[in-house]
Amino acid sequence: MTIVRNKVGVVSCSGEEIPEGTISRVATRLVLEKLRPGETVTICLPLFLAGGEDERAFARVFPTITVDGCEKRCAEKGTKKYSGKPAATIIVTDILKKCTNANLKSRDELSPEEWKFAEKVAEEIAEKVDEVLGRKKGANEKVESCQRAEK
Amino acid sequence: MSKSGKVAIVACAGMDKALGSVARASVFKVVKELRPNNVELVCLPPLLAGVAPHSELIKSLPVITVDGCAERCATKLVVKNGGKIRGRAFVPDSVKKHNLTPDSASNIGPNGEKLAEIIAREIAATIDKLLAENR
Repeated sequence: MTIVRNKVGVVSCSGEEIPEGTISRVATRLVLEKLRPGETVTICLPLFLAGGEDERAFARVFPTITVDGCEKRCAEKGTKKYSGKPAATIIVTDILKKCTNANLKSRDELSPEEWKFAEKVAEEIAEKVDEVLGRKKGANEKVESCQRAEK
Repeated sequence: MSKSGKVAIVACAGMDKALGSVARASVFKVVKELRPNNVELVCLPPLLAGVAPHSELIKSLPVITVDGCAERCATKLVVKNGGKIRGRAFVPDSVKKHNLTPDSASNIGPNGEKLAEIIAREIAATIDKLLAENR
């Protein structure tokens, strides 16, 4: 028997036209692979929008966080239209406004400064994941230490 | 065909698969290194959201699509938006043809880089052909 744990779907912009699209993409992967692995999955935005029924069904059942690179908010609008209101939304340009020294230029390979900004965005996504799962920030680390103690 | 001397590229942006990352890497190579002055890179999701400048671009320029999986979202969306596809790349076919498998979605690795380079050169050759038709 499989125990189904709560998962959060991260629907991220991956737009190639602007650096914020790349930041969204990198930040989302950081959450999936490093910050909240096992608790988050990503939903392929183009497929979701193009009519991928598996993606849409997942987003109807599990909570979603949308990560948009710009004010067009394709991920948020698409999620609302096809699966329901996202549990939380993040817009990279909003975070950028708070970080006056972040100067984004790259659309493919991020500079060290851009990586730092992507990590900040990832932390904000991870915080939203914790909120959506009804936990406080840092609870994931506690889960890991509990698992180690149990072993 | 292209009066403006440009071609639009619409690529898979799938972030849950390594081949989506290869598609993305290949178009960046075209835009940055191979044909920087001849390409309009068109973001895929806004085409679905009906953002006007994006759908107008693919109606006015010849389009090359780069798909990362059998769902072929880029191709489907360009067709749905009335764009005229003049060239297509399908990353899974290139994987088989060149026997190069990328590592992962977040790090395509040396094989993924090689594959992206090959696909980028194929796209560049297609751009040259399309632009030559107009000369």
